[in-house]
Amino acid sequence: MNQHVKKVYVPMTETAFYILLCLKKPNHGYGIVQTVDKITDGAVRLTPGTMYGSLSKMEKDGLIRFIREEDKRKIYQITDLGSEVLQIELKRIERLYRNAREEI
Amino acid sequence: METKKTFKFFTIYEYEKEQNYLREMHRSGWKFVKVSGFGIYHFEKCIPEDVIYQLDYNQDGIEHKDEYVKLFHDCGWEYLQDYVGYSYFRKPASQADETEEIFCDDDSKLQMLERVFRGRILPVIILLSCIFIPELIASIIHKTYMITIMFGAVICLYATIFIMFALQYWKLKGKK
Repeated sequence: MNQHVKKVYVPMTETAFYILLCLKKPNHGYGIVQTVDKITDGAVRLTPGTMYGSLSKMEKDGLIRFIREEDKRKIYQITDLGSEVLQIELKRIERLYRNAREEI
Repeated sequence: METKKTFKFFTIYEYEKEQNYLREMHRSGWKFVKVSGFGIYHFEKCIPEDVIYQLDYNQDGIEHKDEYVKLFHDCGWEYLQDYVGYSYFRKPASQADETEEIFCDDDSKLQMLERVFRGRILPVIILLSCIFIPELIASIIHKTYMITIMFGAVICLYATIFIMFALQYWKLKGKK
């Protein structure tokens, strides 16, 4: 993993986290918006400017890849590098959670 | 249909001011139709309504217009036009979440400013350093002070814009 990816995505924004999480299965930008709305009970509402910019950037950084287009919607999926970054982030969040629960 | 044209000049970093202006016009019964030429805003009379206007600056989006507009459309935003690199969108406030914008975090707002910088500010900085500043120095050496004043004025004007832009960027960066 190169320094750029590490610097930008560890730790990552909530938006980036949910995009990577949703793209374990192929999906398009609006599909991600809908999924995240559902799984967070509307607490996290992703918006198109942020979504479009993030998808382009993540594709450029090699975290996700373009698969095909359906009805003018670009469908993406996570890459090996993307999964690796997501794992690192998950471990970081688990540690946060664990430490918060434990008595210090 | 009654229409109206206004002349308004918003510099490159004043997109928030522009968004507020368009919203205010719509609220007072003037629906934005298009902006053309050198800051000529076209409106048509409408029933006053609270409509949120938003500007994005995304070269990649303009190059992949169909997919770009589709995503905004899916999220309930009407695409209006592109103008000097900015894309215009609107959504009635009644259909939006309170204070809804097309960016939901400060990171993506910063990234938009970075795109503006690369697309609009950086080319001007290069132009200024390669042509205007050498010309300015040459005019001082040759004692052609009219030219010094001319180039000096242009450089000062752009320097002001750069500083304002940088301030806005650092303000947002500090908020993050």
